[in-house]
Amino acid sequence: MSQDVRLWLVVLGFSLIHFIMHVGFGFGPAVPDMLTIALLLAAREVGMGWAAGLGLVFGLLEDSLSVLSFGANSVAMTVTGALGATTRNLFVGDSLSFQVSYFIIGKWIRELIHWTMAGEALRLPFLEQVMLNGLLGAGYAAGISVPLMMMMGWRGREAT
Amino acid sequence: MAYGPEPKHAEGRRQGLLAISFLLLALVTAYIPAATQQSIAWSMRVTVLRPFIATQQWMVAAKDNAADVGVLRAQLDSLSATVSSQAGLLDENQTLRDLLDLAERGETSFRPATVLRSGIPGSESMFFLNLGSRDGIENGAPVVDRHGLVGRILEVRQEISVGMDWTHPDFRASAMLQDGGTYGIVENRRGAFREEDRLVLNGTAYYETAPDNTLVLTSGLGGVFPRGIPIGRIAGIEEVQGQWRKAYRLQPMVEPGSVTHVIVFTGIVPNNLDRLWSADSLRILEKEVVEGREP
Repeated sequence: MSQDVRLWLVVLGFSLIHFIMHVGFGFGPAVPDMLTIALLLAAREVGMGWAAGLGLVFGLLEDSLSVLSFGANSVAMTVTGALGATTRNLFVGDSLSFQVSYFIIGKWIRELIHWTMAGEALRLPFLEQVMLNGLLGAGYAAGISVPLMMMMGWRGREAT
Repeated sequence: MAYGPEPKHAEGRRQGLLAISFLLLALVTAYIPAATQQSIAWSMRVTVLRPFIATQQWMVAAKDNAADVGVLRAQLDSLSATVSSQAGLLDENQTLRDLLDLAERGETSFRPATVLRSGIPGSESMFFLNLGSRDGIENGAPVVDRHGLVGRILEVRQEISVGMDWTHPDFRASAMLQDGGTYGIVENRRGAFREEDRLVLNGTAYYETAPDNTLVLTSGLGGVFPRGIPIGRIAGIEEVQGQWRKAYRLQPMVEPGSVTHVIVFTGIVPNNLDRLWSADSLRILEKEVVEGREP
């Protein structure tokens, strides 16, 4: 099976797992944000436009369930996807430290944008949502995604 | 020979334009009218997201099936005892009504519902109910459980409805102390962390004192909630403004995060519901809480 097919299967699988765990089973923050992981994985393989488009679709799906701040997830995921794809032009290597930083910063930026876009009355305090939950969630996401990338043989691949 | 742009640059520009377009689209979704946003959300929920919401319904049903039979039997016994003790009263009441030639009293109608939560950031204060307009649910209907007020319905569709609980920043309820002596507005007040969110009885007169542990009920003023639904108990003074206003912290009767089943009133809600939460039931509930048992 080619690398591209495997990637998209993983992206689809992570998206399904995200909604099954968060919505179906109601596990909440006990399960990492698999949707952002899927987006960040895809963003390293596609162009900025398509990554933004995928982010918009993922964001709309999340917004449909959040109700209170419709659009916040859409903007956050679109920007995260676009920025994730931009890193392809800035960082050509796939070193371990880069990958860990990529997922941590990617997830944290997503939380920061979501916090900014959510209404003042609706969002959680900055300290809780961005600094605490955001950083913990980012570490959690990196802890899941980097080993997965290693297992799938994506680590160490250099851009040509 | 004319030099055109390198294909790589053209592709990069195309991707950039595409990204800007999607970003603009995302920003538009954030600022379009709420009704349009809700239409988009509902169309997603009944199509792509339907299987996941259905999975949660199955999970809740499975948990119910796995509930301790002993607890359910005890609850059934208590209910049977209550119903049988009231049978004579009902009969007597009917006889008196017939003698006085009074019309039938309007029945309080309500529907039990299962609470579904999406678990997505931004949805912390809202919930879905597996009932909709076809079940007689209306916008603004009070949502309660056996302990007291949970919240109210925000939006109703045919099969499903969306409600907000008391942790929503827009939650307000006109309230009073159990003796009806002091009135105020109960609102949610955000803390530095979500765990520090608390209910506050605000707007009470400075000279009126509310002792700790006093039950606070909905007052029925304003018509949003009927009178007599327990909201919480006084747990100390939150703030004092000058010498004219006091606000009290409340210990809520309902922890929304742990609610799985609720009751939604349908049709005409009676003005006074305090009999649904009798003093005896509340005392039993307090005892269970003090003993650390699950009520």
